[in-house]
Formats: sequence, C-alpha cells, structure tokens
Amino acid sequence: MLDHSKADKITSDLLRSIRMNKSFVVWMGILGISLVICLYAYTIQLREGLGVTGLRDYVSWGMYIANFVFFVAASLIGMLISAVLGLSGQKWITPITRIAEIIALAFAAVAGLVIVSDMGHPERLLNVFMYGRIQSPIIWDVTVVTVYVLLSTLYLFIPLIPDLKICHDKIDNITPLQSKIYKLLSLNWKGTAEQVALVRKMIRAISIFIIPVAFGIHTVTSWLFASTLRVGWDSTIFGPYFVTGAFVTGCAGVIIAMYFYRFNYKLGDYLTDFHFDKMAKLLVLVSLVYLYFNLNEYMVPGYKMKKFDALHIHDLFVGNHALLFWAVQLGGLVIPIILLLFKKMRTPKPMLFIAIAVFIGAWFKRYIIVVPTMEHPFLPIQNVPLNFKIYTPTLTEVLINFAPFVLVLLIITILSKVVPIIPVQETIEEFEETHK
Amino acid sequence: MLRRKFNLKISISFLLITVLSIPAFAQGWDVPEAQKSKNSNVVFDAGATKEGESVFTKNCVSCHGNPGKGNFMKTLTPPPPDLAGDKTHNLTDGELFYILNTGRGVMPSFKNILSETDRWKAIAFIRSFHKGYVQVVSKTDPEKSKLVKINVSFDEKSNKVTVDVKANEKTGVVALKETEVSLFAKRRFGNLQIEKSGRTDANGVISFNFPKELPGDKEGNVELIVKISNEAYGEVESQSKMKLGIPTDVPSLTKERSMFNVMKKAPWWILITYFSGISIVIGFFIYMLLNLKKLFDLGKK
Ligand code: HEC
Repeated sequence: MLDHSKADKITSDLLRSIRMNKSFVVWMGILGISLVICLYAYTIQLREGLGVTGLRDYVSWGMYIANFVFFVAASLIGMLISAVLGLSGQKWITPITRIAEIIALAFAAVAGLVIVSDMGHPERLLNVFMYGRIQSPIIWDVTVVTVYVLLSTLYLFIPLIPDLKICHDKIDNITPLQSKIYKLLSLNWKGTAEQVALVRKMIRAISIFIIPVAFGIHTVTSWLFASTLRVGWDSTIFGPYFVTGAFVTGCAGVIIAMYFYRFNYKLGDYLTDFHFDKMAKLLVLVSLVYLYFNLNEYMVPGYKMKKFDALHIHDLFVGNHALLFWAVQLGGLVIPIILLLFKKMRTPKPMLFIAIAVFIGAWFKRYIIVVPTMEHPFLPIQNVPLNFKIYTPTLTEVLINFAPFVLVLLIITILSKVVPIIPVQETIEEFEETHK
Repeated sequence: MLRRKFNLKISISFLLITVLSIPAFAQGWDVPEAQKSKNSNVVFDAGATKEGESVFTKNCVSCHGNPGKGNFMKTLTPPPPDLAGDKTHNLTDGELFYILNTGRGVMPSFKNILSETDRWKAIAFIRSFHKGYVQVVSKTDPEKSKLVKINVSFDEKSNKVTVDVKANEKTGVVALKETEVSLFAKRRFGNLQIEKSGRTDANGVISFNFPKELPGDKEGNVELIVKISNEAYGEVESQSKMKLGIPTDVPSLTKERSMFNVMKKAPWWILITYFSGISIVIGFFIYMLLNLKKLFDLGKK
C-alpha cells in the first residue's frame, strides 16, 4: 500500500501546475502585448505591401523563409523523441515525451502562418489551391505540413486520454465547464485492460506513421531549396542535412523547456539530472551528425571551387557573411559539442546556456542558408540600388517574424496550464513496474 | 560561329555605347533638316494623349520615369532626360520623331517596335507636359497612305524576295522610288529583319536575299512583314505568308506530360505517388478515428 500513497504523490506533484496563478497572468499579459505589437507591424505590411520589408527582386526570400524553415525544424523533435526513441525502447524519455510533443505541435501549427506572412496578402494562399502544380515542392510542403500538424495533435492527444480522466477526477479547484471538457475529452476512460491495450496500439501505430511524415516534412522543405539551381542549394544531401539540423534545433528547444519546467513547476524529482544528462548526450549525437553533413555541404563545393560556388563560399567564409557564418558554426555547433563532452557541463544550468546558444545558432543557420544564395544569382545584378543587392531586414519585418515565436510561447503556455506536462499515468505505471 | 559573331557584335556595340555616350551627353541631336520640320498627322488631342500615355508607360517609363517627376534611371550614362524638361520642350516634333526612330546609345530605336501612330501618340503624351506648346499638324494627307500597294514576290532560283511599291493615284499607278523598305520574317519571339533596310529603285522595286535555312511552319510557310516609309505617303506595313522556309514540325513544348507542364499534364508517376500518399494518410486518420470511437464505446460498458 506504500505504492498507493506514492502514486498519489506523483499525481498531485504533476497536477500541481494546472491552476491559475499570478505569474501565469503576468506572463500571458506580456505575451499578449508583444503579440499586439507584432500584429501592428503586420497591419503596416498589409497596408503598404511587402515593400516595407527588406525583400526586393533579387533577395525575395529573406527572414520569413529562414524563419519558416526554423519552425518546421523545431517541430521535428516530437517525432525523434517519442517515436524513434520510444519505439527503440528507451525508458528515460517518459517524462520528456509530452514536452517534446507540445513543442512539436506548437511549432508545426505556427510554421504555416510564417509563410502566409511572407505572401503579403494572406488571401494569396488560395492561389496554391487554385493554381498549384503537383510538380512543385510547394504543394507537397503545404500538404505534408498540414498532415504533420494533424498527426502531432493526435500524437499529443492519444497518450493524454488517461491523464485527462485523472485531471477530471483529481483537480478540484477548476470550473465545472473545465471539468466537463476533461470528462468529454477523456472519452469514457476507465482504464480497463481492453482500453489500455487499445491506446497502446494506437500510440504504436502513430509512432510508426509519424516517422515518414516527419522526415517528409523537412525533406520537402529542403527540396524547396535543393530543387532549384542556385549556388549553395543545388545539393543532393539537403534532405538529411535539414533533418539532422532539425534534430539539433529541437533538442535544444526541449532542453530549454525542460529547464524551465523543472524550476518553475518544481519538477526536480521527475526531470532529474539524469534526464538532462541523457538529453545532452542526444544533443551531442545529433550535432555530430549535423556537423558531418556541414562538412560535406561546404567541403565538396569548396574543394572544386566552381566559379559561382567560389563566390558564394568566399562570401560565407571570409566575406560579407563570414562573421555570422563562423559564429553559427562555432558557437552554435562546434563549441557546444566540445563543452557537452564534459560531465560537468551536462547539468541543467550550463546546459540551459548551451541550448540557448544552439537554438539561436540554429535560427541564424537558416538565415545563412537562405540569404547569401539569394544575393548570388547567376546573372549579373545590374542597374539596381544598393538595397536590392544587399538584403537588410527592416524593423517591421523583424517584428512580424517575432510574432510566430510569441504564438508558439502562447500555445505552449496555455497547453501546459491545462494538461500535465509530464504524463501522469505512464509515470505511475513505470514506478509500479520498477518497484514491484 | 554564329554565336561568336553575335557576341562580337554585342561587345562592339557596348564599346561604342560607352565611348560614344560620354561625348554624346553634352551633344545636341543632329537631326537632318528635312526630318526636323516633319509634323504629325495624328492630332494631339485628349484621346491621342491618353493612348500615348499607355504607350509611354509600357515602353519609356522604365528609363525616363514619369515626366516631371524626375524619377528617371539615374544610373545610365548619359542619364535619360526627364521629358517634361525645357531641353525636350525646345525640340521640334520632327526632332522628337527622329529621336524615337533612330535612338542613340542606350536610347533604343522604336522604328520597328512601335507603329508610326503609336510613336506620334507617345510624343502627344510628352507634349502634354510642355506649357505653351501649340501643335502644327502635318499638311500631308494621311489618306494618301491608303493608296499604297505593296507587292511581295519570291524567286526560288535566286532565293530573292522582291518588293514592289506602287501607289494607285487617280492619274494612274506611280512607282514609289527612293522609298525606305524593311523586310522582316515573323519568328516566335519577334521579328527577324532580313538584310538591311534599303531604298527602292526608279521602278519602286527592291530585292532582298532571303536566307536558305530559315525554318518555316509545317508547310514551310513564313510570315513576311514589309514596312515602307515614304516622304509623301507616310509609313505603310503589309503582311504576307509565303512558302520560303524549311518545313519544320516543332511539337508544342507543353503537349506531353512533363514536370514543367501544368498540373493537368503532370507526369503519371508523380500524380500516382502524391495521391496514393494522400489516400494512405486519409486511411490512417479514419483508422485512428474508428479506434477512438471504439475506445469510447469500451468505456460505456
Ligand atoms: C533603355 C532606356 C530608354 C528607353 C526605354 C527609352 N529611352 Fe529615351 N532616352 C534614353 C537615353 C539614355 C536618352 C539620352 C540619349 C543621349 O542623349 O544620347 C534618351 C533620350 C530621349 C529623348 C531626347 C530627349 C532630350 O531632351 O534630349 C527623347 C525625346 C526620348 N528619349 C524619348 C523616349 C520615348 C518616347 C521612349 C519610349 C517610346 C523612350 N525614350 C524610351 C533612354 C531610353
């Protein structure tokens, strides 16, 4: 019976965060105000057109597209942690799965909006459906992003069913409406053997199904680039290059979130140093693979130095974009890998800083992939003002690009206020298994 | 070989442009006296000005900007003048017409690009910015151009196209001698000029050597365009179709299914891949929803 009280403790620990408090209201207020400011910037763009951004004829893909790629990348982590590691029988991921899925859903849901903001007038999205061509990766991208958002929703929802029932039963300081919604969404969960088996089966099915879709979403995004004949994009390894880059981004995102939850939600007993250590090792692993792809991506054209490739590579290595390039490659990849090899660094606080560096580096890496190539067309740029040749994002554009981040934070904040961010049922089950 | 020549031509013209344009900047326009006094048949009224504006917007604004706004392309050497300015104001209609016809340096020749009326209409538009300008309408009779008869014939042996220009005056048929004639073959993306423009002889006749290897349509037909320009009769254009090219059957690039075609003509493999992917996804979601329903029903028991 000792176990029973332990289960109760787990339940109350994990449900503790689901309640209104002052810091939540303040934080939502900050997010709300930021969103309003960003939306104001967006209304400027709606009124004046895309001319208010730094985008011009030559650099027509700028911050927006870099941001889009980043968002798609960050959303892949749900698949890596829950599906790939889950299917391979890794037990340590249990307390992290939901965090990863929430991040995945939030980033994937918002990614589409980033593209819409790049269209100028949002109704132009309809053109994709009216005039789109199946031969273009754009249609595939729209399709696969939509599918991934739906799948991620299911992937978040299905393992949540038992927990929703627990929420309904155990949380008492909520409104009757909220309680009713928990009840409704828990789909008559009784925890019978049959139901448990069915949910396990569904989770397994979705874990398998989401892997090709997640690979698809980022491979197709990479093909938006790789299927055009431009220096820096004309590459055969863009698919795996983007996918591994996505894992790096996502791992960093999850580590940041873990740190936040551990300290704000007082979940030190569940998100332990052991979990951080594991995540650090995972980050090192995916970063090493990504580094390897980077080596290929720059070494091969860099050795041959074809005329236009040479221009591009010079620009990255020693030219206009060199500072950013090296900051990203060293600060966002090489140094984090080296640091995380030390055991001392694989503890929450240092990891937070490393993960933030990796996360920011990952964003600028997308920028480095998109912008310099656009500045180097094959045909000479003639008779245009300087701001056509060199892209500089405007403040309006930066603010509009900031909006999706605010939205992601809003989604994550709200979700983690209404559902337990660590799976309750699974944690109890696992505890019982190990303490038999 | 052809390409080399072509490149050489371009390089030389670029060289000429750069070398000539610098002194040309300070230069006025050296317009022959006879051209200077030429006037328009088109009356510069509101209608002509309006149509001229659309000609101007399509052909001239990119360089000259909108008259009076000073938004011309400043990076060109010499910079294209703002056409509302005094310098342009002081040119005669004939001079403006000559400038449009011949061009200089970066300023293109519009003779073979715009019809005579359109060129005059563009000038009408420019003139609408010149305060105090009063038009002198040409005394030549615009109806006269309707009398012109252009006869085009082809001699297979010598591979020559002969153009015979006559006018059906009341007094009888007159040969239009000393008339400028240009011959073009219509191509997919524009007109190919055949040899240089020349002037008719005393009989109003001129011949052009037609290239032997020019591709025609399936039957070998080529569309010919003849443009003539005569002091008294103005500019006249005629079109005719003749069998003087090599029969060529080029299937339309968009006939077959291919990656670059419209969606309806996408390759089968990509259609099949895409739609089977979609069906699998839909199937999966239906499967999941059914399972969720089952879960719900299990709980009712
Ligand atoms: C490719 C650029 C370009 C385009 C297109 C162009 N122009 Fe020009 N134009 C020039 C330049 C450059 C000059 C100055 C040439 C010089 O002085 O040698 C010029 C000179 C002129 C002048 C002489 C003005 C003066 O005051 O000396 C007139 C008139 C003129 N253009 C009319 C036109 C019209 C009408 C059109 C359209 C049908 C046109 N141009 C299209 C570049 C252009």
